[in-house]
Amino acid sequence: MPTVTETKKRTVRINGCVASAQAAKYADVDVIAAYPIRPYTATMMALAQMVANGELDAEYIVADSEHSQLSISHGAASSGARVFTGSSGVGVQFAYELYSPISGSRMPVQMMIADRTLDPPGDFGSEHTDALSTRDMGWLMGWSCDAQEAFDNHLMAYRIGEDPRVLLPQMVCQDGFFVSHITSDVELPDPGQVKEFLPPYKHPYPLDPRHPVSHGPQIMPEQGPPLQLERARAMEESMPVIEQVHDEFAKIFGRRYDPWVEEFMTDGADVVFFLQGAHAVTARFAIQHMRDRGLKVGMVRLRTIRPYPTERVKDALSKFKVVGVVETNMGLGSVSSGGVLYGEVCAALYESQQKPLVVSFMAGMGGEAIVLKEFYWMAEKMTEAQKRGKIEKRTHWVGFED
Amino acid sequence: MSTKGTKIPERLKIPFAGITPAPTQEKGQDLFPTGNWRSIRPVYRDKLPPCNNACGTNEKIQGYLDLVKRGKYLDAYALIKEDMPFPSVTGRVCYHPCEQACNRGKYDEAISIRAVERFLGDLGQALARDVVKAGTPNGKKVAVVGSGPAGHSAAYQLARLGYKVTILEKSPKAGGLNRGGIPDWVLPQDVLDREIERLVEIGVEIKTNVEVGKDVTWDDLKKNYDACVLAVGLIDPNSARAEGEDKEGVLFGLPFLRDIGMGTSKVKVGARVAVIGGGNTAIDCAREALRQGAVEVTMITVEGNPQEMPAVPEDLHDMTEEGVELMHGRAMTAVLGNGRIEALQLHPARFSGAINASPINIDKEAKPERFAVDNVIIAVGQRASLKWLPDEFKTERGTIKIDRFGRLGDTNFFAAGDVVQLGSGQPLMVVNAVGDGKRVAFNLDKVLRGQPLEPRTVPVDVIFDLNRMNMTYFPHFPRVQQTLLPPVSRRKTQEEVIQPFTEEQAVEEANRCFSCGTCNACDNCYLVCPEPCIVRDDRSNGLYKILVDYCKGCRVCIEECPTGCLEGVPELDFDSGVVRMDTAFAVSPGLHGRQAEELKNLGERAEKSI
Repeated sequence: MPTVTETKKRTVRINGCVASAQAAKYADVDVIAAYPIRPYTATMMALAQMVANGELDAEYIVADSEHSQLSISHGAASSGARVFTGSSGVGVQFAYELYSPISGSRMPVQMMIADRTLDPPGDFGSEHTDALSTRDMGWLMGWSCDAQEAFDNHLMAYRIGEDPRVLLPQMVCQDGFFVSHITSDVELPDPGQVKEFLPPYKHPYPLDPRHPVSHGPQIMPEQGPPLQLERARAMEESMPVIEQVHDEFAKIFGRRYDPWVEEFMTDGADVVFFLQGAHAVTARFAIQHMRDRGLKVGMVRLRTIRPYPTERVKDALSKFKVVGVVETNMGLGSVSSGGVLYGEVCAALYESQQKPLVVSFMAGMGGEAIVLKEFYWMAEKMTEAQKRGKIEKRTHWVGFED
Repeated sequence: MSTKGTKIPERLKIPFAGITPAPTQEKGQDLFPTGNWRSIRPVYRDKLPPCNNACGTNEKIQGYLDLVKRGKYLDAYALIKEDMPFPSVTGRVCYHPCEQACNRGKYDEAISIRAVERFLGDLGQALARDVVKAGTPNGKKVAVVGSGPAGHSAAYQLARLGYKVTILEKSPKAGGLNRGGIPDWVLPQDVLDREIERLVEIGVEIKTNVEVGKDVTWDDLKKNYDACVLAVGLIDPNSARAEGEDKEGVLFGLPFLRDIGMGTSKVKVGARVAVIGGGNTAIDCAREALRQGAVEVTMITVEGNPQEMPAVPEDLHDMTEEGVELMHGRAMTAVLGNGRIEALQLHPARFSGAINASPINIDKEAKPERFAVDNVIIAVGQRASLKWLPDEFKTERGTIKIDRFGRLGDTNFFAAGDVVQLGSGQPLMVVNAVGDGKRVAFNLDKVLRGQPLEPRTVPVDVIFDLNRMNMTYFPHFPRVQQTLLPPVSRRKTQEEVIQPFTEEQAVEEANRCFSCGTCNACDNCYLVCPEPCIVRDDRSNGLYKILVDYCKGCRVCIEECPTGCLEGVPELDFDSGVVRMDTAFAVSPGLHGRQAEELKNLGERAEKSI
């Protein structure tokens, strides 16, 4: 008789959208609220097939807009269901009204976002502005850089968001096209592993006719601030939970992620790229190439932007001479008049005794790829600043300067 | 950690994420007392439905329709009996001003109120014991002269108030106009007999063959009774002022019907009969003439067309259906014949004024028509016979002179019914006489108790405008029709022409009622309140309570009240103390008024239960 326990773990070649759908299936979601918009549509399609095939037992609700999608999600989560929804670009914006009520009522809805540039130009390519514009609405938020990480992040986000110490919704983001539509090998776990990792969802006060409660009742204005404070507290108190969950994930699945930042070839580096999401893959390649040529360059990739790991960012970046923030988002008229990440980086470094120079690069805009030579160009700008001891200007629009 | 060291003061501590007990649960509304956001307060305020208002005796029509709808027939019967002693009679004979006023008439078809009243009246007739009881005897004696609608009503109400009532009736049988003026095929005698029995059951003594002025005098009445109600009606027929009205074969409307009704008629009508007059009595005479054996009956009216006739349209329709011919725009100027009627002389004529009571202009220049008949029945109204009455109480128009309370000077004599209403502009009809009798009975009671008589000052808000209700809740639905005997067979019998409603029909018809302006416990407010701030124990009229500490005044209940009973009252108006604060109240006698005590209890109960 064979004594070896058979595992159903297997590796498949899928894109990020399908990886997200697979994660929802493994999380055994109860309700899926869908409304098509590219590139998220591919996730919705994959889930529809799974429900139709009987692979996944879930309510699959096609909403009449993203606003309804999030409203359905809110209601479903209130009743105690594990909810999966998602969108892209302008769809994310259309649902905006619901982000604060969902986190305000502490419903751990999960939303997959495959980034899409906001209009103009009516583009399908990735730019992080869609999700980032909601970053202060009380949702846990972070980017994956490939399909495997997307799959893993979905499972971890459910576990973190549904933790009774947290109870917050999560946006699990991936770049449109670069992650969502490029296939790569993804290891799908054994269902037993997921069962061990992710307990069933249980909200402490679900809507139930047998035990009536009021969700989102009208309250007195002075009763508002305590609720905001509680939400801020939940966001902060999620940080140890996030670390704990990443640990347990590594133990069960064998893949260890730093919950806050990925450091790549930062040993002895003078200049580093600071970025989120898929462009890290190109950056790694560019950095290896530049290191071969003797440049002391590295990368720090932010994995979780909400809650923002201020201390970790400070500690990680203080040791370099120059930090180049690759934005991939729009912050028109912001601190740097470029993207929004620059401000977040500088604020984290403000208390540091040893501050690097910080420069912002507007690259990957409109969903365009950041090609190798653009990384070389940015590294050159940083090296010049290092030599000069002073930045030339706060923001460079990559591809539009000599 | 920005939240490190923060704490929430005790008074602002709220449950997790504001998730609280539902407003219906313990403390559910205490946490967020949002009532102070409100600028408009929903208030249940019953209006007077137009049917109740139009009814001569202000029957609580909406009230009993609502009870019928719920299958509470006995309660409905008891409610109707408050204002109407004989619903089985008015359920057959009433000219139903309520139906003309019914708001549903503006929407599709008026409610068949009379048919429902008859259903209830017949139900009461079948009861072994009536629901109505005599009042506790107060030792006072009242005489009621006349046993017609007004006298019957006054005697009934006085007996309920505890008086020892004696009715003095001239005829051998009690009933007055109900017996003598209404044919059997409208009101069978046994129905009336039963209602009169009911009157005797509550202690009213009826002395027949007693004629005031002959068998008893004014002074006898004064001496033997504490008070007296004169309800002698109009018994002498008016003349058509034509020559030869004394010829054989000339009949008068009310005596013609009365003799048949009393069973004392010796008349045998000929084949060709003409009826002079265009009112309801004329119609009854024409249809009775058919039943008495006439072959051709012609109704001759001064009115130029049927629409001008002061008659109930459906009776007019039923009459022509039975084969009575109409001849308009003519007046009878002479009865021709040698001792016995042979023909009528007719001249073109029209009323000089807009109303039927105005003097008639007869075109004497025109060539007269000769219209051959065997009989003519003159039915152009009637007058009172008041020879026995002291002159000081007679009016120029031949009625009894009364003040606004129905009282004769400062005597303990009161008068009611046709004998005071003739020429007052009030149409003469049974239900108006009943209402008159009722009001006079209450006024008499006040006088004998030494209470002042004061006109009513409470403003009455009658709901005429459909926009004050929410019509989206009322689908169009046709009126349930009463069946009629076929015209050919009915014109030769004394059988009732109009057939009663079945129970199902009565309920179906009562279900069509809008319940204008009056709560009918539809539960809509209770269901639509988004919070909920409206509580109730049972689903019954007016037993709703609004929790004002929590109600934000969103107006949803007001907008969605189908009947228009709920109104928004500006919060500032509550300072005046005019409006009772937190619950339903009534400005007119509706169900809320009578349940006020119960409401108070509900409020306390509700406070305990939440």
